[in-house]
Amino acid sequence: MANLKDDTRGQWILLSGLTIAISLVTVAVLLNQAAVTGYYSSNAALEFPKEQIRDLTTQTRETAQSATLLAYQLNQSSNLSVPTIITTLLENYSMQTSILYASHGETVDIRVSNVSMNTSNTTIVDSIWMNISYYDGNTFYSSEPEIIEVNA
Amino acid sequence: MNDQAQLHTLEGLGAAVLVTMTILIITQSTVVVTPQSEMFMQVDLKQTASDTLTILDVAPQIAIQHNLTECVASYNVSTEATLLGGELEILDEELSAILADTMYNVDLAYMDNGNLTVKHVVINGMPTDNSVVARRLVTLYNSTVTNSGGTWDIADGDLLVVEVRLTAWQT
Repeated sequence: MANLKDDTRGQWILLSGLTIAISLVTVAVLLNQAAVTGYYSSNAALEFPKEQIRDLTTQTRETAQSATLLAYQLNQSSNLSVPTIITTLLENYSMQTSILYASHGETVDIRVSNVSMNTSNTTIVDSIWMNISYYDGNTFYSSEPEIIEVNA
Repeated sequence: MNDQAQLHTLEGLGAAVLVTMTILIITQSTVVVTPQSEMFMQVDLKQTASDTLTILDVAPQIAIQHNLTECVASYNVSTEATLLGGELEILDEELSAILADTMYNVDLAYMDNGNLTVKHVVINGMPTDNSVVARRLVTLYNSTVTNSGGTWDIADGDLLVVEVRLTAWQT
């Protein structure tokens, strides 16, 4: 037994095993961190509603411009003023859009805050100011006012 | 009696246990890696699907014969697609040209007399668990529908917002 206690050569084997084990654990931890980071970044890219927000503002701008052209036509055969017709059309657009977005769990609020007329020719609309807000439970977006130039 | 080997054996066993435990920990923890690649594919597919709808809607006349709004405006609302055939063939052709190697279905959602209505217009199959949905709004007017030959019921001084829902998945 005295020889067994004095013989320390085998400790190198244990030390090597320990070193390799620590190295592998370190590599595993690093791998996991990279994997978890990738998971969360992918998840964030899927969750963030950038396309919905972009579509909402783009479509609102296009509709405001089309609604203005339509309002000029309707004004020819109606007692209602151009701003009133524009507001009515955009309120209808807002109502339909809100319901469509609500069908997939998103809240949308679009309101006309001001219809700005041309100073030199008061029958022409210069710009429409709209308040747009979007909320999906995680991301809140607001553009107040969204100024839309319609006198192109 | 020479008993040196006993200590070597014990030390060797200790090292083996350490290495084995480490490998077990690594093997089990790599489970996290699996959903990562799936999600990357989903992110990529969702972006492609959204871009496809955007391109179809904003591309100039010289690049594409019928844009998304014109395709939707040409829809006959009294019909609906089945597995045997779609209702918007022009839209289907344009989508298949862009979304190669990708399966997709297209639905239209809109308000009809105060009720939310969803119509299937292109059906290519049953979406898988990893499918993604891209959406785009189009606004229709009486003049747009008349020019495109559709049957949407829109009054002269009115508009209709239609949501195009593109469900895409990899085969």
